[in-house]
Amino acid sequence: MTTSETARSAGVTQQVSKVWINAPIQQVWDVLTKEGEVLPFFFGSVMETSGLKPGAQLRMRTPNGKFTGVVGEILECEPPYRFTHTFKFTNFDDPPCVVTYELKEVDGGTEFVLISGNVPLGTKTEKNMAQGGPFICDVLKSVIETGRPSFGKRMILGIIKVMGPFSPARCRSEKWPLDRRVAPAPSSK
Amino acid sequence: MDALFAALAHRDRRKMLDLIQTMPGCSVQDVAKYFDCSRIMVMKHLDVLSQAELVISRKVGRRRELFFNAVPIQRIYDRWTTEYSRFWATKALDLKLAIESRNQKDPP
Repeated sequence: MTTSETARSAGVTQQVSKVWINAPIQQVWDVLTKEGEVLPFFFGSVMETSGLKPGAQLRMRTPNGKFTGVVGEILECEPPYRFTHTFKFTNFDDPPCVVTYELKEVDGGTEFVLISGNVPLGTKTEKNMAQGGPFICDVLKSVIETGRPSFGKRMILGIIKVMGPFSPARCRSEKWPLDRRVAPAPSSK
Repeated sequence: MDALFAALAHRDRRKMLDLIQTMPGCSVQDVAKYFDCSRIMVMKHLDVLSQAELVISRKVGRRRELFFNAVPIQRIYDRWTTEYSRFWATKALDLKLAIESRNQKDPP
């Protein structure tokens, strides 16, 4: 059985997105892991962690801090090459996935690979991850190379911003404090 | 963009993308099973797809796993559609597919 078949029989799948960015690897890493600032490639959310190190908690909150869309736990942090954390949408009941960012120096720039593993098949999480991967790669590239997202992506980000206040109550940030451990790594099978 | 369109301009390579998209993490052998041509030829096609970044080949232990990368397709889409055209184009495409589904054939 191939790895993909083994994964499918366990009810999970893996998605991979890749983009080449015309910038030094350290710059890509710094932009990717920036805290307390609106990150257009993460759908305009602000990242908060209890430390950029394994075992620390991670949150993706709206710019005003009222809502938290994604929660997770950092599993690996090897600047500027590799960053892994669990990833759970607060508005779905699906189990957490594992997101890995791999950075590599290629052709005078940086090859950026995003791997979403342990994605539960046939769930809203799967659909969102499939759309999110290419979005993150594309916007990260535009933001670093040109200073802002492309026109089409700016429209999408505008809509997300407008929809922010309509997030469900279960996404309210007081339910997802940084000092509470959530979304531990799925047990390896 | 040239490499991307050149990679897409072959029926077998498009079929390979379909296969890899439905079997994320599959191997070269998994893909080769669906084609009559030699394994070397399949690998050549996969190489063209990798050059265009449509396929990501990852080494996992001794195996090679293949994944479909949607980023280049996203770039084509973003370049020629706007929020408005994407809405109406989707409607037109839905209508076309609904009508054509009666005499369904393989995608070209």
